[in-house]
Amino acid sequence: MSDYVLEMQSINKSYGGVQVLQEVEFSLKKAEIHALLGENGAGKSTLMNILGGVVLPQSGRIVVDGNVTSIHSPLAAQEHGIAFIHQELTLVNDLTVYENLFLGNEPKRHGLLDRERMHRESKAILAKMCIDLDPNVLVSELDASYKQIVEIARALLRNARILIMDEPTTSLTEIEVKCVFELMRSIKDQGVSIVFISHKLKEVIEICDSYTVLRDGRLITTGPIDHSVDEKVLAAHMVGKDLSFSDLYSPREVGGPLLQVRGYSKPGEYQNIDFTLNKGEILGFTGLLGDGRSELFMTIFGHGPKAEGEMLLDGKKVHIRSTKRAKELGIGYVPRNRKENGIIRDLSITQNTTITVMDRVLSFFLINYRKEQEIIDRYAHDLSIKMGRGDDAIGSLSGGNQQKVILSKWLAAHPKVLILDNPTQGVDIGAKLEIYEIIMRLAERGVSIVVLSSEAQEVLMLCDRIYVMYHGAIRKEFSRPEADAEKIMIVATGGEI
Amino acid sequence: MNEATSTADRKSRGRSDLKKLLAKNTAVVAFILVFVVSVALKGSVFFSTMNIVNILRNNSIIGIIALAMTLIIITGGIDLSVGSQMVIIGITVLAVTNATGSIVLGALTGMVLGVVLGAGAGSLVAKFKIPAFIVTLGTMGIYRAVSQYLLNGGGIMIGADPMDNFVRLANYDLFGVVPMTIIYWLLACAAIHVLATRTQTGRYIYSVGSNEKATLLSGINTDRVKIVAYSIAGLLVAFAAIIESSRLGSINSSSSGASYEMDAIAAAVVGGTSMSGGKGTILGTFCGALTLGVINNMMTLLGVPPFLVGAVKGAIIICAVLLQKVLGDK
Repeated sequence: MSDYVLEMQSINKSYGGVQVLQEVEFSLKKAEIHALLGENGAGKSTLMNILGGVVLPQSGRIVVDGNVTSIHSPLAAQEHGIAFIHQELTLVNDLTVYENLFLGNEPKRHGLLDRERMHRESKAILAKMCIDLDPNVLVSELDASYKQIVEIARALLRNARILIMDEPTTSLTEIEVKCVFELMRSIKDQGVSIVFISHKLKEVIEICDSYTVLRDGRLITTGPIDHSVDEKVLAAHMVGKDLSFSDLYSPREVGGPLLQVRGYSKPGEYQNIDFTLNKGEILGFTGLLGDGRSELFMTIFGHGPKAEGEMLLDGKKVHIRSTKRAKELGIGYVPRNRKENGIIRDLSITQNTTITVMDRVLSFFLINYRKEQEIIDRYAHDLSIKMGRGDDAIGSLSGGNQQKVILSKWLAAHPKVLILDNPTQGVDIGAKLEIYEIIMRLAERGVSIVVLSSEAQEVLMLCDRIYVMYHGAIRKEFSRPEADAEKIMIVATGGEI
Repeated sequence: MNEATSTADRKSRGRSDLKKLLAKNTAVVAFILVFVVSVALKGSVFFSTMNIVNILRNNSIIGIIALAMTLIIITGGIDLSVGSQMVIIGITVLAVTNATGSIVLGALTGMVLGVVLGAGAGSLVAKFKIPAFIVTLGTMGIYRAVSQYLLNGGGIMIGADPMDNFVRLANYDLFGVVPMTIIYWLLACAAIHVLATRTQTGRYIYSVGSNEKATLLSGINTDRVKIVAYSIAGLLVAFAAIIESSRLGSINSSSSGASYEMDAIAAAVVGGTSMSGGKGTILGTFCGALTLGVINNMMTLLGVPPFLVGAVKGAIIICAVLLQKVLGDK
């Protein structure tokens, strides 16, 4: 009999020919907090989704309490005492704490809800967790950490013995994190095992007993967290050392300041942002998800309520209150989440490309289809977009080619400043490299570029300078020679170097 | 060998193009079907010049209002107020014409009012993010109530002086057979078709309806696009109001324009306009209005009790959306 509550052995999973998990092993001891680490796309979520019964593996064995089992549905996972606490919480804001605790599992008496029992059991479980919380409070009145706690209480109420927590601390303040950690320790002492997924290595060292690192769908290493393991060691495992893209970057003459941002602040999103973007420079902004960089550049592009602070473009003070004004001033913006923010589904490929430059395709107030055709032809050639005809639906293209169309629409507008938020999100490796080359070429032509990315490798490969953000503030500026993935990872996760 | 494949290619491409064309113009297909069935059932009565002209004339007003509805639905909204808006504008046109004796002044006032009302509703939808359904549900009630208050629930007639000229606007028959109302409808269709397909405004309207966030992030003032769309719709309703008041020589504050919103929505939806926005054509809406007109006409010819006509219309709207869903899923 092993002392593991859970063993996942030789797990394989692929999506449409892409192997996302390859012979992965993962073992969890009773009453331990185990960190599951890896960059975005390393396979952490897939592995945990398999454990949670959301996704089925192609092959592999799952052993719970020494018995081989198959977890074919979330319900089956629940029966095995496995509970998945997702990043985006699943509480209903307009119900009370106790109603949420029993949601979908309500005890009944004579066909009516047994409120008394729900109340009693809620109080008991919260007391057992040493949490001082009134079960009658509406969830909407709780702050983020208490919501997280209610989520955990709900899992425990269903006798969960294995808790999967997917980045539980991203939306929490430091004090709230302490509060959640305390709870995690106390339920661990009661025999519950926790899988802790987090990018914040400082927190991992603080709370976890052991760790497992995945990279590109493979198990890299696993072991206990003792005094020999620090943030640098973990970061090195996560990033790997076999990556080198340095040949892509070509040094350029960088001009004087083009865009200067001074003291930009928006409460709850970012504070005191100061940076300068020079002519022909590629600037990187990186950090964890939710570090405020997207919100910052959305504001700079004129979307949403205005921020405090001032902005200078070409030495002149500007106030950008609308995206239209930003475009007129020569700022372009390729947003993250292409499907929600980039693609206009009912317009054709051509129409998606010319939407930013309609004034240039008109003759006597009417759209001149030939002029539109010229624009798409030019960019289809320049960016080697693989497509059928210009009037085909934009949805007929692959992710990489859709992204190139979004890039084209901004290239057509001839921006001086181009902001790229997660420019290679959801595109394959080949298209990724092509997009990097396009970015390099643009910079050589004198366009100033800002790359926002949570992949350290991406900004390292492209950028002349890198700003690392954490909790809405710029924590550190690196010049190209002094930056490396480990340093970035440490600063981005709240550590000091 | 090469030649053979290319011929085969061309053939299959031709076939797929035809399929695409049919899928895109379900409204045209539906209209042709309904028309053929009607001819088969009631050939001589249905296919007489008189009957055909009647169908066209009786549906011109709804046809024009359906154009307004189509533009608004493409932006992702809806306008429940078109009927009562037409009434309040019609009353204004008649009152100004009677007071000044000038038809031109009356018509112009009506059009300005139409644009102002449209822009107002559009602003509430765009700037304050109030759902279009709620805004126009409110304005529907307001326009109707104000109209009834002004006329004590009764109607207003064109005065004796301008009467002849005013009534001739809509009731003159071109070449002795084609009523002017039909000509106005066709002209409005042509103008809005060009607006939708060939102008910047038209492209932006589709874009906003398809993905408002992405349009905004393309550096486009989406609020303005919506307000312009509602204003153009207001202008079209004013146009319909002028024709309606000329056709009848009067407007009744209680009964005029009743259930026009339902007919206009039906025409747009049967014409293939998607309620979720971004999709729809003027040709489709034109055919949608005609299809409904022919069905209406056939129900009369076949002696269906008039009280059941509404039930049939309601069923047609539901079927049209159902069909969109089924075809759209593929």
